Amino acid sequence: MTLMTELLINVTNGLLWGTVLGAVSVGLTLIWGVMKVVNLAHGESILLGSYIVSVLLLFMGVDPMVGMFVALGSGLLLGLTIYWLNLHKIIGHVDVINLRIEMSTLLEMFAVSIILYNLYSFFTRSEPFGIGIWHLGPTSYINIGYMSVQVNHITAAALSLGATFIIYQFIAKTPTGKAIRAVMQDSQAAALVGIDPVKIKMLTTVISIGFTAFSGFLVILYESAVVPSIAYKYAPLAFTIVVLGGLGSIMGSYIAGIIIGGIYGVSKVIFSLLVGKNASDPLALTTAFVILVLTLLFKPEGLFGRKR
Amino acid sequence: MDVIIKIDRVTKRFGGLVALNKVSFNIYKGEILGVIGPNGAGKTTLFNCITGVYSPDDGRIYFNGVDITGMPPHKITQLGIVKTHQIVKPFNEFTVLENAMIGALFGKRAGKISKEEAREIALKNLKLVGLAEKKDELAIGLTLHEKKFLELARVLSAEPDVILLDEALAGLNPKEVEESLDIIKMINKDLGKTIVMVEHVMHAVMNIAERIVVLHFGQLLAEGTPKEVAEMPEVITAYLGDKDLALKFVRR
Amino acid sequence: MVNVKEYLERPTFVLIILVLVAIALAKLLRLETTDYLITIMFFIGIAMSLNLIMGFAGYVSFGHTVFLGISGYIFALIVYYNVWLAEMLDTLFGIPIFLVAIVAGGVSALVAFLVGVPVLKLRGAFFAIATIGLDFAALYIVKAFIPIINPEFFGAQIILPAYALAYKNNVFVAMYITFALVLITNYVVRRSRFGMGLLAISEDEDAAEALGVPTRKYKLLAFALSAFFTGMLGAIFGLNAGGVDENLFNLAHTIDMIVMIVIGGIGTVMGPLVGSIIYFILYDTLLVTYPEFNLVILGSIVAVLVLFAPRGIIGIIRGKTIRGKRLRDIIE
Ligand SMILES: Nc1ncnc2c1ncn2[C@@H]1O[C@H](COP(=O)(O)OP(=O)(O)OP(=O)(O)O)[C@@H](O)[C@H]1O
Ligand SMILES: [Mg+2]
Repeated sequence: MTLMTELLINVTNGLLWGTVLGAVSVGLTLIWGVMKVVNLAHGESILLGSYIVSVLLLFMGVDPMVGMFVALGSGLLLGLTIYWLNLHKIIGHVDVINLRIEMSTLLEMFAVSIILYNLYSFFTRSEPFGIGIWHLGPTSYINIGYMSVQVNHITAAALSLGATFIIYQFIAKTPTGKAIRAVMQDSQAAALVGIDPVKIKMLTTVISIGFTAFSGFLVILYESAVVPSIAYKYAPLAFTIVVLGGLGSIMGSYIAGIIIGGIYGVSKVIFSLLVGKNASDPLALTTAFVILVLTLLFKPEGLFGRKR
Repeated sequence: MDVIIKIDRVTKRFGGLVALNKVSFNIYKGEILGVIGPNGAGKTTLFNCITGVYSPDDGRIYFNGVDITGMPPHKITQLGIVKTHQIVKPFNEFTVLENAMIGALFGKRAGKISKEEAREIALKNLKLVGLAEKKDELAIGLTLHEKKFLELARVLSAEPDVILLDEALAGLNPKEVEESLDIIKMINKDLGKTIVMVEHVMHAVMNIAERIVVLHFGQLLAEGTPKEVAEMPEVITAYLGDKDLALKFVRR
Repeated sequence: MVNVKEYLERPTFVLIILVLVAIALAKLLRLETTDYLITIMFFIGIAMSLNLIMGFAGYVSFGHTVFLGISGYIFALIVYYNVWLAEMLDTLFGIPIFLVAIVAGGVSALVAFLVGVPVLKLRGAFFAIATIGLDFAALYIVKAFIPIINPEFFGAQIILPAYALAYKNNVFVAMYITFALVLITNYVVRRSRFGMGLLAISEDEDAAEALGVPTRKYKLLAFALSAFFTGMLGAIFGLNAGGVDENLFNLAHTIDMIVMIVIGGIGTVMGPLVGSIIYFILYDTLLVTYPEFNLVILGSIVAVLVLFAPRGIIGIIRGKTIRGKRLRDIIE
């Protein structure tokens, strides 16, 4: 294989994975950007969706294309529970969210993440659950030019695009979406024009965690099996992407996700040339975190975020 | 009179917005100087440049002849310039006394002062602003008026030469304003501190200040005694609006 | 002249002495296994190390395990490649172990300093997230390069030669000294001007800077000090385990540290110390009755505390007055 084809394959795969990363980050950019809730339980919200889809398929034979809606529904419920149990007392008011409140949400969601993570481990005994060989259509691979791509990866990319388009339209066009944006910019001013910021915060939590659980299905199309530690891979990447895309910007996050995926693909090729194939994967992921730290330092508003 | 702070063609921009545009004036030792101007005129920005919170894009600031432009805030505090915040910033979970002690421990005599001495300085200044009785309460429980006094006690404990007050009177009722003015006068006359105050409470500043500086859209519009300033046509149109009203302030 | 009586009236000081005496007694009287005592000191120690930056300055360092990892690996590499050192490591009452751990901790402190210069400019969640990023970056770098250094380090695992670790007693001594140092440093810092400055930073950093607190310097110092002790503990812990692997970087250790601090309460020395003791008691009892459930229960406790007692158990106690004496004044 020439270097050029290898690069092409890796970049294509990286970009496809990037669409999943983008979708995984959309929920986080909403909850963090709108309400300053630093959702450290983001990874566990992803896991919920992954588990629901695979458990339904494994034990009840439910097709994942149906299961993904159940995943979405359970995510909405989880969001509702988390809002009333954990967040309402901290953010359920009109005032500006200051640093202290932000740090409280961080610790609170940290506690939630510990609880959920260990519940998953407990109920699954940390054994992998998966969708196995499930895929749409008759073949699991299709050939495009030089390379063959997994059908599941293409499915994931298509679903990710569709779902993100829907939620983007929802935030941009519907009255609720506009209210969410108003609360994000200035919750006190929003209250003055008759929006109930507390209700909007609850809705945002529900939507954010619901969408995140849905994205857990896309993750499982990639990982094919889910174990709790997947949370430790995707949640930090999601934080990186949200920072890069600009807090609160859905489009920003989605594009940043694709960029990170692409960079992952390119750096994998570069690092396997430099230090060998085994080390290339971890180092490619390192690139993402180096980008995170650099963005935080030099462009904290992100690539697409507004300066504040 | 000796110049204590010299502001020399200071410019500060935020993106496209010029918050301060080549502002120059002197602050004299021992005076009370009032800084007035409409909202967004650049008053707070000016204070932030003097105290090192922002470094000016252009121009220099001298304190006792020493160039302090671009120094970090804590260094400038230790040299002897302090400011109170327009939006009060108490250390909420500290007691009132501990709040003031921070001022003493890290102020002009930073590092050369024992905790006991710091406590005494802090107590003395809390007495001065009338907060001594609340010394063991947490700052978070104070009223706005008390928090403003706490800001004052805190910066006094740093033993500064120049105190910048950013709207120390805003949000207070008339009685509290009078109380505050007495304390400010006392700090100026008895303790000999130079005071620069940004103020919207017009009659107060016109009465207490010996000189006034007027900022308008980041520019120095006028400088003079309260009476002179109140009669300048450009000041009247830009800010005071009504000449009779302006003179009434001075007379009161 | 130090006034002994005065110190006895300070509950935190007394508690520190009690903890140290209790561990020494448990060792001498063989009430607990040496391994268990080393583990206890390790966990309480890392919580107290993190306390310097999280509890005092209010900077939640989520990736603090990065310093366990860095120093653990530095220690292991030093011992692995210096046979003479490895041979004498387990002699002289643990002093060689202690000294090598200081070097390993020093590397962490240096990294913390260099990284801290830019990263400590970030506040709140951004700082926390940047430190997570750092932990992962370091982890992946170790995963990639350690096996390249030497094929024997398969899977980034370094197994120390057996002769480096004959008597656990020496490891115990090195750990004990480090542990005592961590506690005493916490106490001294909390009572010092430096400590007051850090607490002011955690309340309002801009106001602190405006009042003359050299915030940058103090944050860097606290971060480096915290990394230094975390690193030393990681190094000795790695030795005790007979080697190091990537698990040292595991965020699970971060969970332990932060949970202990939040249970006890930030802003004090007493808080995290009591918090970690409670953590251990709970962990031990829950481990026996509900082995899989202990973290679920600990997480729930944290969730409740953050909502209803953001300053932890000691925070509640400090608000009280007993016989006209305000506990806030004596509990440090
Ligand atoms: N950190 C900042 N970033 C961007 N713009 C700023 C910043 N600080 C101030 N400004 C802008 O600079 C201008 C001057 O602000 P400044 O706070 O100095 O006004 P002021 O005279 O103190 O007003 P007020 O009387 O309302 O306190 C305003 O237009 C303000 O919006
Ligand atoms: Mg102002």
